[in-house]
Amino acid sequence: MDFSHYAPLYAEALLTFLAVLIVLLGSIMKNSAKLVGILSAAGIVAALAMVSSNLMVSKPLLFFFDTISVDGLSQFFKAVFLVVSLLVVIASISRYSGKGADEYFALLLFATVGMMVVSSSVDLVTLFVGFELASLSTYALAAFDKSKKNLEAAMKYFIFGSVASSFMLFGFSLLYGMAGSTRLADIAAASLANFGPATLVALIFVIVGFAFKMALVPFHMWAPDTYEGAPPLVSALLAAGSKKMGFAAAFRVIMVALIALRLEWYLAFAILAALTMTLGNLAACWQNNVRRILAYSSIAQAGYIAIGFVVVGAAYGAAPIAAFNGFYPPAQLGIAGALLLILGHALMKTGAFIGTAQVASKVSSGSDSDPDDISNYAGLAKRAPITAFCMLIFMFALAGIPPTAGYIGKFVLFSSAIYSGLVWLAMLAILNSALSLVYYLRIISYMYLKDAAGPKIEEQKGYVVALVLTLLAVVWIGVFPEAFINWALQAAAVLLPQ
Amino acid sequence: MISNVISLMIAIPLIGAIISFFAGSKAKFVALIASLIPLVLSLQMYLEFDKNSKIMQFVESYNWVPTLGIKYTLGVDGIGFPLLFLSAIVSVLVIIYSWGETKKPGQYFALLLLNEVGVMGVFTALDFFLFYIFWEVVLIPMFFLIGNWGGPRKDYAAIKFFIYTHVASLVMLLAIFALYFTYQMPDGTRTFDMLTLLAATADKTIFPTSLLNIIFAGLLLGFLVKMPAFPFHTWLPDAHVEAPTAGSVVLAALLLKMGGYGLFRVILPILPHVDKAFVTVIAVIAVLSIVYGAFLALAQKDIKKLVAYSSVSHMGFVTLGAVAFTWMSIQGAMFQQFSHGIITCVLFMSAGTIQHVVGTRIIADLGGLADRMPKFAVLMMAGFMASLGLPGMSGFVAEFMVLTGSFATLPTYTIIVVFLSVATTAAYHLWAMQKAMFGPILRKYMDVHDPHSYELFSMAMIIVLTLIFGIQPGLITDMMGAAATQVMEPVMTLSQMGVI
Repeated sequence: MDFSHYAPLYAEALLTFLAVLIVLLGSIMKNSAKLVGILSAAGIVAALAMVSSNLMVSKPLLFFFDTISVDGLSQFFKAVFLVVSLLVVIASISRYSGKGADEYFALLLFATVGMMVVSSSVDLVTLFVGFELASLSTYALAAFDKSKKNLEAAMKYFIFGSVASSFMLFGFSLLYGMAGSTRLADIAAASLANFGPATLVALIFVIVGFAFKMALVPFHMWAPDTYEGAPPLVSALLAAGSKKMGFAAAFRVIMVALIALRLEWYLAFAILAALTMTLGNLAACWQNNVRRILAYSSIAQAGYIAIGFVVVGAAYGAAPIAAFNGFYPPAQLGIAGALLLILGHALMKTGAFIGTAQVASKVSSGSDSDPDDISNYAGLAKRAPITAFCMLIFMFALAGIPPTAGYIGKFVLFSSAIYSGLVWLAMLAILNSALSLVYYLRIISYMYLKDAAGPKIEEQKGYVVALVLTLLAVVWIGVFPEAFINWALQAAAVLLPQ
Repeated sequence: MISNVISLMIAIPLIGAIISFFAGSKAKFVALIASLIPLVLSLQMYLEFDKNSKIMQFVESYNWVPTLGIKYTLGVDGIGFPLLFLSAIVSVLVIIYSWGETKKPGQYFALLLLNEVGVMGVFTALDFFLFYIFWEVVLIPMFFLIGNWGGPRKDYAAIKFFIYTHVASLVMLLAIFALYFTYQMPDGTRTFDMLTLLAATADKTIFPTSLLNIIFAGLLLGFLVKMPAFPFHTWLPDAHVEAPTAGSVVLAALLLKMGGYGLFRVILPILPHVDKAFVTVIAVIAVLSIVYGAFLALAQKDIKKLVAYSSVSHMGFVTLGAVAFTWMSIQGAMFQQFSHGIITCVLFMSAGTIQHVVGTRIIADLGGLADRMPKFAVLMMAGFMASLGLPGMSGFVAEFMVLTGSFATLPTYTIIVVFLSVATTAAYHLWAMQKAMFGPILRKYMDVHDPHSYELFSMAMIIVLTLIFGIQPGLITDMMGAAATQVMEPVMTLSQMGVI
């Protein structure tokens, strides 16, 4: 049999195979921890190489009866997910070196495969299957350290996640009933042809389902508790990977399949985006737990990213492409901005959570004190200079200070809001961006301006490697953004009519 | 001349900053060398600078993000070069003044160098994207200088400084976006090139007045907060009082000038095309800054706070001269930027020296210090005289030019109000000087003595410069003359100038 036709999907196949192999290895070998860690990292690097070999797909390639599409957008998200997983795996090699490491890495790989499937799905059933594969793996990962806090976090995550899935599934079933097909293209055609109340109900359910996953206010309640309680490296995966999966799915379902309802979801996302960034930032100002601050900051960032939907809703098809005289239409710039912020945020958040893992790893586990409390970060610049410096850059990047990846994302995204005439939203976004400085600077001032609050922290090799790699990526994107902006613009074009 | 000289001037302090960060107690030598090289380069630029030319000089331009029309373009003209020169001078002197810094010297000198990188970038960038990056980068070293080496309320002051000025910059950024998306080049692409966008604002069909008004207001806010002009000056006293001396010097001598530079580079070319009410608003802000700043200074107990408010007052002259929009007033305002940049150094250095020699800056607790610190007293007195506008020193020339130039266009009573405030200015300077330095020496200060020679050296150098530029202002104002003409004419783009 000739499988060469499936070459663009080798990455997923490789990771699935590897995950199964790791489970097997774990059951037959005694001390497999180090081996499976390195094996996972190598597998992800190989998968990343495969994905990047066809990063810029000019024409979507369809597989499996047109349910899986390999196109610019899917490759963009796959690259983001793989990079996040790689960083988490590298950091995890120091953390999970004992019993159970095989399960940890296998689950991590399964979650990654699930996210990759979601980013490629152009069919509701495939999308849902990928979604659940990723979700179920991360539910287990969230409880992996089996402490009381872990269990609470995982339980909350599981319950909210299941509710979200059922909302989503119910919306999907309505869409199927309306269109008689689960393919996004068919649904798009059907919803254009016969637009009725059922479509609207379906839209509401789908938005609620995705909003849970993307942690948009008021569907965000699970996120702070889960990010705080889960093992820190898993929080990195959740905030940077699994949350972005929600965006990957929402981009396709809402911007492609439900484009006929754009005026309806435009309004919904305008409200969600405004609420999410404002409440996320306000809530973050009052937290004392660094991981909770990061959780609320990631909610606020989801609010910024949601601006992409609003821009598309406001500007989609408002003028023919020719009217832009060779420049990019606002919708394309808006999606590209959202994608750049997704990429930037994935990196910055992974880095920041790995940083918290580094700090928490050395606070004695027996004591009652909260290892993530901001007071543990006092004088971190002296106690763990590399971690502190990386955290410093991530905080500035998250706040959107140039020249970093966070700045480039916000720059393109907020400018697209101005471009499409959404001045109020751009105004609100920049005020929020300034407000967010309150808590980012607070963390920075603890790390750099306060006296050391404890002994030196021995920085572990895996963490340091992951942190420095992330730092380089964040700064690289900020200083040489051309390639990334181009890439995001091409990926964005997939969602727009050609 | 070396090609890409401006990039080199920006790169050397950056590299110096990285080295001195790891150099520990040797950092001061690294910093001195890394700041002397740009000074030498700027002196050579000064010699080669064509003072009568209205075009951009030493231009370098490379594609950076062609997808969005972003270029790495640097260049100087009569507006930017004097400030670039000022940055090079002040950076060297401030590093010499801080020679005795022992608390984390590596980081301290690295931050001073990073500051130099940022301000030099702002004064030379000709692409809004690049300009904004430098504009923001400046905040970071200043945040750490205040936060790490500051006074008792340093955390509060550092965060307030950062957020306050960041908000204003973001509003400016939105206005830049609006400029960017409104103007499309003939070939369909868009550009962040400052001169091209500014030249385009003259076209009413592209920028209707109603839209341009909003854009203008956004840009203006960004610059006025940085200046700072009344009523946006409230971040300044907090930042100054808590900042270490070197931080205050850099803040007042260089960071405030960024706001003034923005007025000349960005605001004045648009001013003729917006609603005329803006002229009145800016003029009122300028006069209020001058008068209110002077009265606030008069009321201060802390000598450093007094100097901080005197900055608000003196920077008001920059705004006033700019908005009066005559050839002489604009030139005077530009010279005021340069002149205040050097004079304020000696004032803040005096305040800093008094603080660490005597242990307090409260004017009422001081007295008769001149008796024990004669050399210092001479320099401080000279600085205060320069600041209050003694003829023969550069401050006088600048303020004289602003007032004479403004007389032609602004209502006479505004000029009279400003003239009256000169008396207030003289009053607070003389009163503070008299109370702190002269009179009988207090018993508790019997054993104070002159500060270190490096502190005296930097102060003396500045006094010398003040005198040189006071007696021979043409050294700097010559190049500003061409710049003032250029500001009042429609903006020429780089391609119209024939430089790229």
